Amino acid sequence: MKEKDIELYEKLNAQLEGLYEEISILSKKSPNDAVNKFKLKFINQVLTDVSSILAEKYRPFKDFQSFSEDDLPTNADVTFMLSQYINCMEKLRADNIRCDYESWYWVVSGQITSIQTAPPKKIKEK
Amino acid sequence: MALLRPRLNDFYNLPFTQEEVDFAIPFLDEDLPLCVDPFLLWKSPSMQDNSLHTAITNSFNHLGYIFNKGQEKQAIEVLIKASECYEVGLGDSRKRVGKPFGEKLARNILLLYRDIPQINKSGFIHFEEIQLFVDNISKDRISDIACSFMKSFLIDYTIQLSKKYGIPLMKSKNISVYNYKTNSFDDEEVELPQNLENGAPIILVPKRWLRYIPWINYDDYFERYLPKKDKISDRIELLTYNRKNYDVVQAYIKIKEREHKDCKNDPLFEPIPVTSANRKFSIIKVLPTGKTENVDREYEDNACQLVASLVYPQLDFAKMQSRTESGILIRDLIFYNNRSYDFLKDIYDQYECKQIVMELKNVKALDGEHINQLNRYLNEQFGRFGIILARNAPTKQIFKNTIDLWSGQRKCILILSDDDLKMMCQLFKSRQRLPIEVIKKKFVEFTRYCPG
Repeated sequence: MKEKDIELYEKLNAQLEGLYEEISILSKKSPNDAVNKFKLKFINQVLTDVSSILAEKYRPFKDFQSFSEDDLPTNADVTFMLSQYINCMEKLRADNIRCDYESWYWVVSGQITSIQTAPPKKIKEK
Repeated sequence: MALLRPRLNDFYNLPFTQEEVDFAIPFLDEDLPLCVDPFLLWKSPSMQDNSLHTAITNSFNHLGYIFNKGQEKQAIEVLIKASECYEVGLGDSRKRVGKPFGEKLARNILLLYRDIPQINKSGFIHFEEIQLFVDNISKDRISDIACSFMKSFLIDYTIQLSKKYGIPLMKSKNISVYNYKTNSFDDEEVELPQNLENGAPIILVPKRWLRYIPWINYDDYFERYLPKKDKISDRIELLTYNRKNYDVVQAYIKIKEREHKDCKNDPLFEPIPVTSANRKFSIIKVLPTGKTENVDREYEDNACQLVASLVYPQLDFAKMQSRTESGILIRDLIFYNNRSYDFLKDIYDQYECKQIVMELKNVKALDGEHINQLNRYLNEQFGRFGIILARNAPTKQIFKNTIDLWSGQRKCILILSDDDLKMMCQLFKSRQRLPIEVIKKKFVEFTRYCPG
């Protein structure tokens, strides 16, 4: 990862988690209801940007790019896919951070930077 | 290509739906079962409508005036001419042509101006009151008289909207138009839309003036307002009673005027509310497949009302029809395709689909013969696109059949199941997407499987 990618990553990750939070609330209420076109447009926009940062290596599914309006994706479909992307984003982050004393920092081109980050979720959860 | 229950816009391939236009789209072969209610013009906030109501009432009262002045023949003649306005195509006629009423009935109406002192003195404010005094005055008669007296306005209205929506205008001779200055009917040559098959002129009417029954009507008066109805045995006796007790009728009219806020025009099609849609789907969901105890009929009736509402206003419902093929009774829902949505335009362009036929099948599993039945029917008049509304999703083999049909004959048959109907109901309720998008989804899925 490059230094400019870190900023983009953090923005997209926040957006992704925000969308997940919103849609999962809707999904709990009515999982089989279709997501409207307005929401779908922005979800797709975020997914496209996230896919570019994840690249081939980290993308959750090779044959999924974005949702098609014509397929009438439901709240449950979108929640499922967003959670996959969130996990992959976390995997990308976990592979690009390192612990120095008690804090975690981003790694750029193999060198630890001064940009602090949270510990990997797996470690945090333990 | 013969259309089923064709409307003016379908005949001329004009892409607008009933929801989008201000006028009631007339059928070409039959009347719209609605009538112009003069009361709607009276209560309208528009000065134009109020003025037209005044003009109609004045024209009608003028007939009473000249009748009392001794010009009986002329008054009767004008009233007879006013009693039928076939160009508007409203009422109950199956052929868009009614008959004017006879001389005796016209005389009976005009005699009201002699027999009832209050009418003799002041005339009518709502001429539809005549239903309460004279027998054999139907709701469409009131509508026809109103339309005849304001035909000049309606012709201008028709020309204006025809130009706006691209409806072709043709010279129509001998159109009987009421002349407000001379109080007589003159034959004029005007440009109007026509039914090309028989050359009949067509006049458009604003849908805000239409109701199924007039606000002031005999049944309402008898059921809800008549004080001594137990003492009156038949209709004729009531009409005589009304003539002798005009104050009772006047009280009724005053009440109706006071309640004018409740008087609304009737929509040409009213979709069922969400709760009813859910109820109908719940009924369908638990219905067994097959024909025992007429469950197929129950399925068809519920599905008809449900689907017609789910796809409105993108698709206007034409009719539910029954046909027999190889001894089997088949019921279809027919919709007009006015290209009001991108996918509907696609099927119009690709499959020449002017009307969408939706065949109802209350069977456990579709078989090849079901596909063939619709396939044969699509040859006749509907273009090359059809839908089967079935209870369960088709097997892979049946779906392959439909793809093969496309490969061989370029015909598209979509199969919707209860699950799709459920999704449509869900969208109808949540309003996040349009229920018709479920059909579009099936269409897109179908095209993805088509070879090449």
